[in-house]
Amino acid sequence: MTDRRGIARRQFLAAAVAIGGSAALSACLGREAPTIPRGPTDRSDYPARQHAWNDVLPRDDHGNVKPPRHRVILSLELPGTAPPTATDRETVAAALDGVERAYARSGDGLLLTLSYGPTYFDRYPDALPEGLDLPRPGPLSPFEDPARDEPDAVLHLASNHASAVLGAEQALRGTEPTVNGVDQPDAALTDVFTVADRRTGFVGAGLPADHDDVDGVPDGAVDDDAPLYMGFKSGFEKNQAGEDRVTIPAGPFAGGTTQHLSTLRLDLEQWYEQDDRWQREAKMFCPHHAETNAVEGVGDNLGTDSGVDGCRDTDRAAREMGVVGHTQKTAAVRRDDEPLLLRRDFNSTDDGHAGLHFLSLQASIADFVTTREAMNGTDVAADSAVGERTNNGILQYVQTLRRGNFLVPPRQHRSLPTPRPA
Amino acid sequence: MIGRRHLLRAAGLGAVAGVAGCGSLFETRSALAPPLVEDRPDAPYLPTHVEGMAMVGTAEDTGYNCALTYTYPHRFWVVTGTHTRQVPIQSSDDVHLMPVVWDADTGIVPPDLTPTIDVKRDGTTVAAPAPWPMLSQPMGFHFGENVALDGDGTYQVDVSIGAPSVPRTNGLAGDRDGATFRFTFEYAADAVEDIAYTDVPADREGSRGAVDPMSMPALPTTRSPPASTLPGTVIDRRPMGDVTLVATAIEDATPYGGAADQTYLAVSLRTPYNDYVVPMASVAAILTRDGDTIATPALGPAIGPHLQYHYGAAVPHLQAGDSVTIRVQAPPQVARHEGYETAFLSFDAVTLTV
Repeated sequence: MTDRRGIARRQFLAAAVAIGGSAALSACLGREAPTIPRGPTDRSDYPARQHAWNDVLPRDDHGNVKPPRHRVILSLELPGTAPPTATDRETVAAALDGVERAYARSGDGLLLTLSYGPTYFDRYPDALPEGLDLPRPGPLSPFEDPARDEPDAVLHLASNHASAVLGAEQALRGTEPTVNGVDQPDAALTDVFTVADRRTGFVGAGLPADHDDVDGVPDGAVDDDAPLYMGFKSGFEKNQAGEDRVTIPAGPFAGGTTQHLSTLRLDLEQWYEQDDRWQREAKMFCPHHAETNAVEGVGDNLGTDSGVDGCRDTDRAAREMGVVGHTQKTAAVRRDDEPLLLRRDFNSTDDGHAGLHFLSLQASIADFVTTREAMNGTDVAADSAVGERTNNGILQYVQTLRRGNFLVPPRQHRSLPTPRPA
Repeated sequence: MIGRRHLLRAAGLGAVAGVAGCGSLFETRSALAPPLVEDRPDAPYLPTHVEGMAMVGTAEDTGYNCALTYTYPHRFWVVTGTHTRQVPIQSSDDVHLMPVVWDADTGIVPPDLTPTIDVKRDGTTVAAPAPWPMLSQPMGFHFGENVALDGDGTYQVDVSIGAPSVPRTNGLAGDRDGATFRFTFEYAADAVEDIAYTDVPADREGSRGAVDPMSMPALPTTRSPPASTLPGTVIDRRPMGDVTLVATAIEDATPYGGAADQTYLAVSLRTPYNDYVVPMASVAAILTRDGDTIATPALGPAIGPHLQYHYGAAVPHLQAGDSVTIRVQAPPQVARHEGYETAFLSFDAVTLTV
């Protein structure tokens, strides 16, 4: 297993991502010294979808996609209220080209998306195409009051190497003339945008346990193998929508997708110090799983799905067992037997507290709302022993601080698109 | 009643009490929770001790009132299904924080309005729990959680509730907005130690029964209304497992979401001895007439102005002689303070005759 040096190295790299900046990048390179593949000069064969990540990500022994371990999200604001100019568009395109030449499109290289919120499109006289669903964010449960997260654009950087996300970020901020040995253009996102907010995080076996020293995480409580703070695997192949399912099928943004991004605060003290393993399993998966010890450790034994087909029907579990599982509720939301959401979420220590940046892709924001409504369990709370939060999946432990909705255009329109790109 | 510090000293625990103000939290906490009674009955029983509470203040917002109260950190038990789990007091816990929210018009404390608390010091959140719905003998139903603070000083505490999740009946609005209440909490560890702390004599602790409700003049009670004040015809009031069951049949279920030719069957579960509301159970009924089953409704939770929190359903018109079998499919999922943790977990069905 991992030795002490390995843990220290992991802690260091994710901490460097959280801190950011050129110094963190240098320190990271000194520590990580990775050989990161560079991108090709000719990238004309890159997929039309910005969100086409799965084909270049590694998979575990069961075939589940392993999400990139290190993440940075930048909230970007376009100053003023006028639409951007052709020059702005060229600058953004050149900056993105720069990091794509520096880092190959892969888990060990760099994966990125640039997305746009409703406020960005508001500056144009034209509306978004009919049928393109990009509402302003708002509360999605009767018991939450999140802030609206409405930057003009959101950049999502992901890699298995801390130095790749940091290097790409520095290049896009125009502070590193050369990253991964590749000279960068004289063009930066920050020539056009201001950076309003920076979020960071991690996902993958070992990283949450390494970061149990922040507020809200009981020391030593998180399983060493857990990919997420709550101690269980998620993102099972059969519980994730495929990239086809989440892709906008037609119209000028065909090949794009929509992105919901929320900031969730986790109460891991209640989760680990007050609940026991039986309760955690019942609340994360379903009471039937807890009764039958269906989940070993972090749930690797489950294979490619959370096994909730074996759970009792949600209404019946609520009435007869007084508890319903998170996965049990959400897994019921499917179309043509496929989930609606492709989760690309990750944990965070931003603001010194354990959190989750819940990032999901779906063909329309309505698909997210439908899934979130299932997670709310308002029907079982209105009709059974299950409470509004109590024993209602993981609602007790998750507080939604802010929500945002964004359009991830197809790659050809990723640089400051108009609402009706040709 | 005296503060715990004095009680401990009086009880000959001078050494422990002596360090209470010296920052040796672990010692203090050990003294705080006397060992549980051995051989606790599977029923409400007298706990080892009773703690009072202190009030930070009250606030109002959009038709709701909120009182922020606190006491010593508590051990309590969370309930999931029939599974109970003792939540020990952590060495870092400073207070048991209890926001009590009630409807300004009716005085009802709705068990479905789960508050969230944001405790800030100098603008930075130091704790933000969603407290558990709980049942305690001195206080009845409330929300509470043990909270670790950041030392003596001034805290800003925001308590927020959302919209109701349990249906409202008979004119109460079920689509109300949430509310937020702000308090300034001057926390001093020494002051907590002065909160009343009453030992229950060793020869009485662990025996079946319950301590008396504490006097809370500024707060509404969570005792259920007397059977005599309920609308409709009371079918029966009798024990069911460890609770007292009161069933009433109301002609014309229209105000309860049913039809004029239906009966609204309402059942309330109350603690024995002090009639506190026992919420968050799955209750169902089987109605039979002349030996034939005529309906098997789920009695869902609901809140009305007179029935207050209850379990009910619109059912076929009930006639004299009909049998009503009440069963609890899942026990109350409300967390328990000492003296209630072994109770209200299993119920035999009871059959009443209209």
